[in-house]
Amino acid sequence: MKKDPRYKSGLISSLNPFGYNIERWSYALHRVTGVVLIGYLMAHIFETFQLSVGTTGTAWNNTMNVLHSLGPLELVGLWIVAGSALYHGANGIRLILNEMFGKLVGKPILPVYPYSPTSLGRNQKIVIWTITGVVLVLWVWAGLYLLAGLGVVQ
Amino acid sequence: MKESWSMILTYITAMVLIFVLTFHFLLQGPLAGKSFEDTLAFSYSRGNLVSFEVIFGLLLYTAILHGLNGLRVIALEWFHPEKKAWLLNLIVVALMAFFLALGSYTLIMVG
Repeated sequence: MKKDPRYKSGLISSLNPFGYNIERWSYALHRVTGVVLIGYLMAHIFETFQLSVGTTGTAWNNTMNVLHSLGPLELVGLWIVAGSALYHGANGIRLILNEMFGKLVGKPILPVYPYSPTSLGRNQKIVIWTITGVVLVLWVWAGLYLLAGLGVVQ
Repeated sequence: MKESWSMILTYITAMVLIFVLTFHFLLQGPLAGKSFEDTLAFSYSRGNLVSFEVIFGLLLYTAILHGLNGLRVIALEWFHPEKKAWLLNLIVVALMAFFLALGSYTLIMVG
């Protein structure tokens, strides 16, 4: 069967947000962070499994030692995972409001040049930029916690 | 399973995940009042699993269902398997079963 030419652009182009509006950026980021998180989740289940091996923690400590041997890569990796979870979660709430409850997306209109998407109205933009700001602040906090040992709330 | 049901499953698991993951971060993050190194201690990590077994079980099931179903949707959109979609679904269900079994085994053995 001949493939539809629209599909020829492939994997990279399907995620390319350059030249598109901010919704496309959030779409691409949501996909990328989702893939990062599922990869981490599968590894995390194997990691957590070590807690069930014996009662002395030898297997768990050995696993931790292997991870620590990665040096700063371990913490930078966790920082990326933390950022992915923060963004995916916050943007996910927006998507649930959009897609499940029909909030923030405006009402459909006839297509009129220059074809501004009604889904990207003022409220939607405010929410997207608020999410970006809050996630960046929390990500910096996560970075201070993981990479510098700061930001612990007693 | 109809795709509409898979999207409803995605939304429901997403809403549950927001709460249980926040709880997980409260235990393992800066709000736990411990350094990151301290939260990795065997007794602390195992103790959390024992004390909050139901919540971690909920986290395991919702995260696997949400994550692997999301991966399936991405694969469907990127590769358009059309007639081979059943194979993709089968692989995803097998992966779900494997990780749910491994995670459940961990929770049962620790608890």
